[in-house]
Amino acid sequence: MEMEQFLQQMINGLSLGSVYALMAVGYSLVYSIMNFSNFAHGGVIMVGAYIGYFAMTAANMPFWMAFLLCGVGAGLLAVLLELTVYTPLRNRNAPFLYYIISAMGASIFLENFVIATIGPTYRTYPQVFSHEPFRLGSLSLSRIDLMIIAVAAIGLITLVIIIDKTKIGLGIRASSFSIKASQLMGVNVNFTIFLVFLLGGILAGFAGMLFGMKYTVYPTIGNITTKSFVAAVFGGLGSLPGAIIGSVLLGIIEVLVSGYLSSNFRDLIAFLILISILIIKPTGLMGKSSEDKA
Amino acid sequence: MSWYYIEGILIQCGYVLMVVLGLSLLTGFAGLFSFGHAGFMAIGAYVSAICTTKFGLSFLPALLLGGVVAGVVGAGLGKLTLNLKGDYFCIATLGFGEAVRLILENWEYVGGARGISGIPWETNLKSVIIACAIGTLALMALVRSRHGRSIIAIREDELAAEMSGINTFRYKMIALIISAVYAGIGGGLLAHYMTYIQPKMFQMVKSTEYTIIVIFGGLGSVTGSIIGTFILTFLPEMLRSLDNWRLVIYGLAVIVIMVIRPRGLMGGVELGDIFRLPARRRAAKLAEERIKNMNGESAGEEAQR
Amino acid sequence: MKSEGMEVLKLEHVTKQFGGLTAVDDVTFNIREGEIFGLIGPNGAGKTTIFNLINGVYALSAGKILFYGKTIGEGAEERKKVLKLKPFQIADMGISRTFQNIRLFRNLSVYDNVLIACHRSANYGLFESLLRLKGTRFARQEKVLRHKADDLLDLMRLVFYRDVISNNLPYGLQRKLEIARALALEPKLLLLDEPAAGMNPEETGSLMEMIRSIRDQFHLTVLIIEHHMDLIMGVCDRIHVLNFGKSLAEGTPAQVQSSPAVIEAYLGVQDGALYAVNEGEQ
Repeated sequence: MEMEQFLQQMINGLSLGSVYALMAVGYSLVYSIMNFSNFAHGGVIMVGAYIGYFAMTAANMPFWMAFLLCGVGAGLLAVLLELTVYTPLRNRNAPFLYYIISAMGASIFLENFVIATIGPTYRTYPQVFSHEPFRLGSLSLSRIDLMIIAVAAIGLITLVIIIDKTKIGLGIRASSFSIKASQLMGVNVNFTIFLVFLLGGILAGFAGMLFGMKYTVYPTIGNITTKSFVAAVFGGLGSLPGAIIGSVLLGIIEVLVSGYLSSNFRDLIAFLILISILIIKPTGLMGKSSEDKA
Repeated sequence: MSWYYIEGILIQCGYVLMVVLGLSLLTGFAGLFSFGHAGFMAIGAYVSAICTTKFGLSFLPALLLGGVVAGVVGAGLGKLTLNLKGDYFCIATLGFGEAVRLILENWEYVGGARGISGIPWETNLKSVIIACAIGTLALMALVRSRHGRSIIAIREDELAAEMSGINTFRYKMIALIISAVYAGIGGGLLAHYMTYIQPKMFQMVKSTEYTIIVIFGGLGSVTGSIIGTFILTFLPEMLRSLDNWRLVIYGLAVIVIMVIRPRGLMGGVELGDIFRLPARRRAAKLAEERIKNMNGESAGEEAQR
Repeated sequence: MKSEGMEVLKLEHVTKQFGGLTAVDDVTFNIREGEIFGLIGPNGAGKTTIFNLINGVYALSAGKILFYGKTIGEGAEERKKVLKLKPFQIADMGISRTFQNIRLFRNLSVYDNVLIACHRSANYGLFESLLRLKGTRFARQEKVLRHKADDLLDLMRLVFYRDVISNNLPYGLQRKLEIARALALEPKLLLLDEPAAGMNPEETGSLMEMIRSIRDQFHLTVLIIEHHMDLIMGVCDRIHVLNFGKSLAEGTPAQVQSSPAVIEAYLGVQDGALYAVNEGEQ
């Protein structure tokens, strides 16, 4: 019984960690190239969740179509943010803080725009999967959790393949070492950055919709990205595998803490992990350290 | 609009200004970004509120004690995290601020999520004016001394500052501690104005708001921070009729400022300088013209070759 | 020329490894008081790394660095007693430097750049600066600092540009300002990292003059890294040549120029450099 409960918790943790991972890779991709934490990511996730919701309720779309639409919509929104907000900053060589503040401005804007136009109410997705749990031996697994884990696995593996195996991915990897150098080597940096926002945005849209389906949709749903940000730091900002591993670990730790200790400590633990990892190994689990060159 | 209403906003400006002044030193002068100042504010608010409600201390010592405790916590945080590179420090303060809030939420002695109520109403216009006047004068004096200049050097180029014999860790520490004390006092003023405090009053959004005020006012300008505080505290109140659209405009304004006028209202310049230093500005303009001519000449030479 | 002075800086078997890469390999030299000492070598020879080892940005992997007989850096194989002073401590002892890729306090005026670096000439405390009283130690020392900054600008012929934001200065003047800022620390040893980079021949000539005159006026010892061979050959008393982190030759400009090893290294790496050496001979 003990063991079963533990396994059950692990699956829950894996599901939560998968949602975190879908968002955390967006942080990490942007950080690896542009060296700033894109706090507007939460807004993208929120908009993704709403697109999915309205596609299914107002437009009566089938689940799969709504799902794809929310990926596309969130991806385009992320690109739009990059073009209107970050590109002017980049052209001016602004310090990283301006990016962070603009990102927060964008996040405040998106959140309140939704509150002002759609309203602050909590909305529930129409039922897609039966509430009947999926039984595996004596374990009962919720279908939405399995769906989340599957989507995350497919999405993340696709992302890793794009980055590791394609020419476009080579551009992204080169730019993460040095934007200037890769520019000289003929990498189209603007296109690379565009792509990074698009990929991060698409996965964020998926995450938003899945999270909204599991719980509800509300304007401040993007706040959970703070956790995925913690996960990205935990794994090592800028490292893709780091973001994924950090997310899964954080998801599992959170679920175990709320399962065995108290759910009140769940968030606290996340931030204590954040501070401890920064003190002990600021580059995270997978990040590379470097000696500053004078 | 009644005077009572305006007085309320002015008092709000006052305690916000205390936090913003501290943050101005840290962000505007030392170049360190904090998303955890709401945490220092919370510490100041809770310590002073506990002192007045549970131990019967009077307002002034309670307020100062709140500032001191915030400063001590700031020293601890600095000791652990100031060695981190810029953006990692910023992330650490984010974690710190949230951790403080969550600890308070789970701590029954201080009322958990309900917080503390029944705090004596001590903060009035007079007390915030006195606090802000002292805070402003001290900060102005500091940044125009060798200590302040060392802090500014860190913002400009930390490595070059260190190579110029400046103990950058120590000065970052000084900036962080002072700014934590200011935030703590600001928190104490808030607690004794609202007469109740709750952990959710000190969310990360608050820290962000204060940083936005500092940037809006202009990095490296004390007077800019003051003007920024007044504008950004009054403006939302004026726009109250717009209801939810208020924050939409606010978010948009933040982006527009970052993109169009990144130096803020008064970046690097104090209000007094505008009147005091016209001769200096003329000299600078003259020299810059000569530089322009020199560049023109050398470009011409190159064209001839 | 004071060639028989006291030893100012001594590098003993200095080695620095980054991961598996050895950037500086067993380099030994010493600089005597009052000397202008050149450190040359092709790109990637480890010159700037040596600067960063001297002023404590990097820790030594092995070897020892002494400044006026005092150990300021020591590497140990078994990672037990690695001695590393903080860069500001080393600067405080009297070693100041300029940077290859200019690191001024960019948004501050020329005057403020120098004034900041003058801080060692004052010792008033934090609380004294908060009170700002007239006639106190604070007021007296502030006055001294401001005079000193103005004097240095005068000396470096930067007074006219006093209130210009340093980032707006032309390249050559920025390099001069960096030297002024380094002098504000009242160093005993001045490290110049490619001071003539980006300067035209005319400016380089006046820079040579200036380096000599500040050496004499401030009783300094100077260590220069430079690519401009005419500058190095013209101004240095002795030169140490590096190649791939290893010492190649050491001696007077004439000795170094006639060393076959040096000629070969420069021929092998870059043709332009040999041309520069020849030009220096003329």
